[in-house]
Amino acid sequence: MRKHVLRVTFASALVAFGLAACGSGTGGSGSGAGIQIWEGYTQVEAKAFAHLLAEWNARHPDEKVTSSFVNNDYSLPKLLTAVKGGSQPDIAYVYGSWAPNVAQIQQVVNLTRVVQQPGVNWDDFWTGERDVATVKGKVIGIPALVDNLAVVYNKTLFASAHLPLPTANWTWNDFVSDAQKLTNAASKQYGTAYVTPGDEDTVWHWEALLWEAGGQILNAANTKAAFDSPAGLQSLTTLQTMAVKDHSMYLDQSDSEYGNLFNSGKIGMLVTGPWDLATFPNVKYGVQVMPSFPGASGGHQTISGPDNWVVFNNGSARVAAAEKFLLWLTAAPQVKYFSLATGDLPIRASVENAPGFLTQMDKALPGVSAFVTNLSNVKQARPQLASYPKISTVLGTMVDSVLLGKSQPRAALDSAAQQVNQILASGSS
Amino acid sequence: MAVRSFALRTGRRPAAGRKYDAASRRARPRAREQAAAWAFVTPATVIIMLFGVAPIAWSAVLSFQRNNLFSASTPFIGLSNYRQMVHDPIIAQAIEHTIAYTALFVPGTMIVGLLLAVAMNRKIRFISVYRTAAYATMAVSTISEALVFLWLFDPSYGIVNYAFKLVGIPQQQFLNSTSEALFVVAIMTIWGWTGFAVVIYLAALQGIPQVLTEAAAIDGAGRWATFRRITLPLLSPASLFLVVWLTINALQLFDEVYLSTRGGPLGSTTVLVYYLYQQAFGGANFNFGYASAIAYFLFLILVLVTAVEFRIGRRLVHYRS
Repeated sequence: MRKHVLRVTFASALVAFGLAACGSGTGGSGSGAGIQIWEGYTQVEAKAFAHLLAEWNARHPDEKVTSSFVNNDYSLPKLLTAVKGGSQPDIAYVYGSWAPNVAQIQQVVNLTRVVQQPGVNWDDFWTGERDVATVKGKVIGIPALVDNLAVVYNKTLFASAHLPLPTANWTWNDFVSDAQKLTNAASKQYGTAYVTPGDEDTVWHWEALLWEAGGQILNAANTKAAFDSPAGLQSLTTLQTMAVKDHSMYLDQSDSEYGNLFNSGKIGMLVTGPWDLATFPNVKYGVQVMPSFPGASGGHQTISGPDNWVVFNNGSARVAAAEKFLLWLTAAPQVKYFSLATGDLPIRASVENAPGFLTQMDKALPGVSAFVTNLSNVKQARPQLASYPKISTVLGTMVDSVLLGKSQPRAALDSAAQQVNQILASGSS
Repeated sequence: MAVRSFALRTGRRPAAGRKYDAASRRARPRAREQAAAWAFVTPATVIIMLFGVAPIAWSAVLSFQRNNLFSASTPFIGLSNYRQMVHDPIIAQAIEHTIAYTALFVPGTMIVGLLLAVAMNRKIRFISVYRTAAYATMAVSTISEALVFLWLFDPSYGIVNYAFKLVGIPQQQFLNSTSEALFVVAIMTIWGWTGFAVVIYLAALQGIPQVLTEAAAIDGAGRWATFRRITLPLLSPASLFLVVWLTINALQLFDEVYLSTRGGPLGSTTVLVYYLYQQAFGGANFNFGYASAIAYFLFLILVLVTAVEFRIGRRLVHYRS
């Protein structure tokens, strides 16, 4: 009996100890200049990143970097919680759309002087990346990833509809009429698709159109809505024509079906990014730049969603080590290795321009070179505002209400502009 | 009988034993037993306190704070969060959707569950296969359930619209329609919970003595009258349990919405818990204070609704004793 009691007490002590250990988890270590990095890489990216990490650790035995997997979607709340508990990592992978929010965290290290050091060649990073890494003139991150939107089309469907393939000079009129001709109600084939969960994925697809039509999301001072313009109307009306009038646009409410449908040859053209290419093994696809609006000033602009490596302050020694590691990680040779291994677009222009690089990329992931060259079509970034997520919610509802046939573009624009102005007027939050 | 004699025996023993061994033999085992009992209970208690009670208490505190994770200060703002709810048009919509969903889900699950239970409450071949099949819906993970239903109810490629076409019903937009999406979510969850209702009703049905149904038959009652006058009233305790249990579940709907519609299209399936989640973790809101206030509001509704259900239920339920 007694023995038994002892054993149970011991077991409960173990459980309690285990809980305590869970609680203190990450932060602890502290000593030395060994640093910790949070990243959310999976599959090929995880493998390539582990390779780079091993290379660094072999060369820098006293500045070892250990990585922890943190799903990117949840990294911001986890970071904020860790910061409150004083157990922040030294480096974290953070979505670019969160940059203004992250900039508010006191422990985030200002990297402005670091990126201006000789040899870093800050301007070698794409404009879109630098814009997103900079909040109110302060560099708060080093680019970790870049992508953009272009049109991926099914060559077989174009051939069977006797349509010429999209050219680099095409317009939205071409897109709309191609979409209509690629639509076949009987065989449930759609010209194109649009994601309508109403979140940022819905919004940024439309923002590309707005910019192509020559419009702006907000005014230059970020104090008022500017999308309720002729350009805004043109962009929304174009989408409305396909979704409501022609029924040539498949609306994907769950944001998870369009890929399968395209891969099954049910969709003619998709506006999407390079990350989807690997999921289309069953179709012969081509990639073309975004269409332009005839006569508009925006040209074939696209939108980019870059992400950042952000450094957190855990004492000057570790900050220095973190900066050193990041500059190495984002230097041209490592960027080239990572891109070729994963098919991710190179975060530096010089890597793209290296002879033979594009051919090598296409070998790694067919069609991806078009996305690489499309990076020069990224001319601007979304507003760098902490309130952007709120604005995005309003814009998502606006786009959805038009696509689902619930409101007319003009009315939707006006109502959204009014709400956005209210958000902007209520100041920083 | 057995119980009584046992009570008598135990009742007599202390009186006899107290003289010699009260101090030596009784006290020590009791202390030991207590230690053992505490040892057994402590781990579970610690875990429940840590992951159950502490967060509940903490969120009560949060609901009175302006707390959004970003700002270093978390000032107490009294009832401001609760007052904000009154002026939040989306809360009103979310309440509306939650009530509509509950009104669909609770009776729906109970009716389907009862029908299946009655159908399976007899001796036919392979009955255990059918019973297992009915319960299997409970074992399916919500995520696979949601994925299957997304495709079943896909407006263009779904089998439901295909079946509609065969019988000449016009094609529906389902999850792409602001007026139909909530119904699809309800159908999905009714399917998922039917197994639960079946098990409860089957157990209750088998607890009904045959004497009563036979007596009714002898009195000349038909099958429907027997069901209506004998079976249904005797099932009422099970029904009350299901009403309470399913209502609590319905008011907390989240998984299916998160996995299938994300509250859309245009907010038409945004229920209270989904809205609360959005306030806490969606976008970059992190309005933990406001989200906690919504959570406590929901908690109040749950307590109220459950109390009302029990009150009304007590009048309608027939307990046999």
